[in-house]
Amino acid sequence: MDAVKSQADSNVLVPGAAANQKAGATAQSGVAPADQSQSLARKLLANRALVSMLLFLAVSFFWAAAELGKLSPADFAFRTWTACAIDEFLSNAEPRPKLDFIGSSLMLVPLGGVDADYLNRAIDAPHHHHSVYVESTLKKLTGADISTFNFALPGEMPSDAYLITKFLLKGEKKPDVLVYGVGPRDFLDNLLPSPGATDPYQYLSRFGDVQSRIDQIAPDWQQRLNYELGRVFYPYGKKNDLALDFTRSVTAVIDRLLPGAKPISIAARRSLLPDYKPFEVGKNDCLFRPSTADSRRFTDNIGEYRKRYKELKWDTYLSQMRFMADLLNTAREQGVQVVIVAMPITEINRNLMSDLAWETYRKGVKVLALSKGATYIDMQGSNQFKLEDFGDTVHLHSGGGRKLLDLICAKLADNISVRSALGIGRGKERSLALSKGSQI
Amino acid sequence: MLFNSLQYLVFLPTVFLLFWLLPHRFRVPLLLVASYVFYMSWRPIYGLLIAGLTVANFFLVQFIGRSKDRKKLWVGITVAVNLITLGIFKYAGFGLTTVKDGLGLAGISWREPHLHILLPLGISFFVFEFIHYAVEVYRGKPVVKSFPQFALFASFFPTQIAGPIKRYMDFIPQLSIPAKFKWEYIDEGMQLILMGLAKKVLIADNLSMVVQAGFSHPDNFSAVDLWLITYAFAFQIFFDFAGYTDIARGSAMLFGYKVPINFNLPYLAANVSDFWHRWHISLSTWLRDYLYIPLGGSRCSKWLNYKNLFITMTLGGMWHGAAMHFLAWGAYQGLLLVAHKEYSQALEKAGVAAKLLNSKVYHAVSVIVTFHIVCIGWVLFRADDLAIAGKMIAKLAQAPVELMHFSISQLSVLQIRDPIIFPSLVLIIPALMVSHVVVNWLNDKKFYLSPPWAVQVGVMVALMCVLTIFSPDSSPKFIYFQF
Repeated sequence: MDAVKSQADSNVLVPGAAANQKAGATAQSGVAPADQSQSLARKLLANRALVSMLLFLAVSFFWAAAELGKLSPADFAFRTWTACAIDEFLSNAEPRPKLDFIGSSLMLVPLGGVDADYLNRAIDAPHHHHSVYVESTLKKLTGADISTFNFALPGEMPSDAYLITKFLLKGEKKPDVLVYGVGPRDFLDNLLPSPGATDPYQYLSRFGDVQSRIDQIAPDWQQRLNYELGRVFYPYGKKNDLALDFTRSVTAVIDRLLPGAKPISIAARRSLLPDYKPFEVGKNDCLFRPSTADSRRFTDNIGEYRKRYKELKWDTYLSQMRFMADLLNTAREQGVQVVIVAMPITEINRNLMSDLAWETYRKGVKVLALSKGATYIDMQGSNQFKLEDFGDTVHLHSGGGRKLLDLICAKLADNISVRSALGIGRGKERSLALSKGSQI
Repeated sequence: MLFNSLQYLVFLPTVFLLFWLLPHRFRVPLLLVASYVFYMSWRPIYGLLIAGLTVANFFLVQFIGRSKDRKKLWVGITVAVNLITLGIFKYAGFGLTTVKDGLGLAGISWREPHLHILLPLGISFFVFEFIHYAVEVYRGKPVVKSFPQFALFASFFPTQIAGPIKRYMDFIPQLSIPAKFKWEYIDEGMQLILMGLAKKVLIADNLSMVVQAGFSHPDNFSAVDLWLITYAFAFQIFFDFAGYTDIARGSAMLFGYKVPINFNLPYLAANVSDFWHRWHISLSTWLRDYLYIPLGGSRCSKWLNYKNLFITMTLGGMWHGAAMHFLAWGAYQGLLLVAHKEYSQALEKAGVAAKLLNSKVYHAVSVIVTFHIVCIGWVLFRADDLAIAGKMIAKLAQAPVELMHFSISQLSVLQIRDPIIFPSLVLIIPALMVSHVVVNWLNDKKFYLSPPWAVQVGVMVALMCVLTIFSPDSSPKFIYFQF
């Protein structure tokens, strides 16, 4: 047994006994006063753990100074909906889009579904980032060529929308008008652990410093500690970049050593490893197809929303409202006209919420939009949408989506602020539009 | 609270600082409170379970110690209390399902009651520590007089969830020593913790992806692929559990306490008996002392001895979990030990030359054969059920035929280029095998007794950098947490 113990203990490079012997030897050797400073240095050096920690700090510091292994913000490990949208937005060589859409799937689904019907072909959803139908409708209504970009993403929260506005929709890429479709889930989803937990956040936070909003983004002490450790220790803060860089190097070596592989598809890999890169999307993995009677069949997703609205977290509501206010302020500073669209949802979904929650959401969004100089379109209150327009309790199918886009386009074309921002109206309308909100 | 979490990164240094700042008399209470905070951070109500068992065992074992003629009765009651508690929490659901299946075979339909019981973390470990204490006192060892010390013995946070299973005569005396802080505790403790994290995060967690894919979809892989995946699991479970043990030992070392070792290069075992002297040592010695020997051990007829071995290992298998595949794994280990005894005796009878048995070639072949026999056992251990295990083992058996027409490009694992661990397997598995040999060689050279300063510091700094970069946002739980 002793033999076993000595062997196994040797997993430690310095067993206590050996170290103790050394310490004892030093103590017995007797140190002259003149050598005290040397002795102290020696003692400190003898503390291997302490020296290791100091060296690690030094390495981390020099690593940060040299910015070794840091990748460009747009160099993503793999493609998700967010990565695809950012990629296309940044790489688009065409003139900047004049009108951008942002929002969650409530906005994404109608835009994609309507284009599939309009073009009568399947559309690769994560790679389709403009609305042909809206461009065409606005052309008919105003006579102007208004290019669009669709930055609506599945699960996008106001916190994500704020980061898009702050970090991406600026400078040469700044739109004239930003149409933001909001729904109660964006503010009242209790399944969201924190704003930093969304897939869009993981990508968008690479494009700027989120320090000023970190109290809201990382309200939990562990998230906050994680963030602060990343700021202090460069290798930890840049661990995704460094790990990606390393993986690419290993992949290159493996490809050289073991050539001729025919890599399996994302779908095949997902069947083997469902938890690995769950949000990755490949080409044609997710399609909007021209609608048929069958595809417009109603899907019951009430169970999912029952969980989302159960025990509403008012902290989440207040936090997301603050992000929306920040978004509106940022857009205003950049001279972007924002149009807030309160998206329609079914009565079934609305009835899951208490009257207090519903009214707080509705009034909160409206008051905030108008007070910040945005244009407010209340589609929920328009009474234009019936149950048969929906694919489930919140998402419009392409038929309902077309109705929605027609209404939005008509309102945009009629609105002085929007016309002015798009350069369709007279010049003095622009300053008027930016100074005062309007409800249509 | 997981060892590989930010919570622990705050918790451990806090307890460490308080421990060394406080006078000696406050240290045991501090560690006791810390251990209950650690345990109850998962599910507070189960703090009552460990506390209740601690109180019950403390007083029941006092009766064993004091009693003159009823020792046997009191030890029986104490062991029964522990086993019944373990049985209710760990095996009740399995028992009901087994009865239902049995009745189903007899054509009787019975709907078993659904028990909403969550297995308390670490129960198998601290229950075994309590039983060990009761039996040792029954055998004449002294009782523990200090309740806080006894309570800490069972709940000590570094070993609370997955061992190593401690012996009270080794652990409790350490609590009474008014130790002074030494930097060596940090040197040794930190190195163990870093090594443990590296084993878990860098090796085990990466291999787990290959293992998950292979064991959930064996049909998608060839026989040679499945061997690679089985090797991957052999190393995953070793590095996962050895990593946990290193962190546990390192955490304990920060307070100046030593806890038992659990592993000694198990895949260099030259036979199954040797393997059990190297694998999960604190469990195998517990099984030997408190199950195998009380059953009669080897001081009986050959067949009774074989029966004792078989029962010990089968129950040892069941200790890992309430499922048929664990039972089968235990029985398989029991049969292997019996077969090994028979084989050794047959060689002896046949008069095979000692020179041959002691030769390096024979040893190397024995190590390779033992490793593969152990790997087949791991299939039973890891598979979700016996049907999948059977399917995998049947496919593994086809490997010799497949190897006749084998080319490396046919391997399915090579086609999966993301995650990169899949194609890397053909390089990593041999490297891990060689690592065992290298560590063994370094042991022989006594390298670890006095490693060069630069090497040790360099290794620690490198580990800190690598762990910082590759620490995942969420790491799978340690495998042995479920037991």
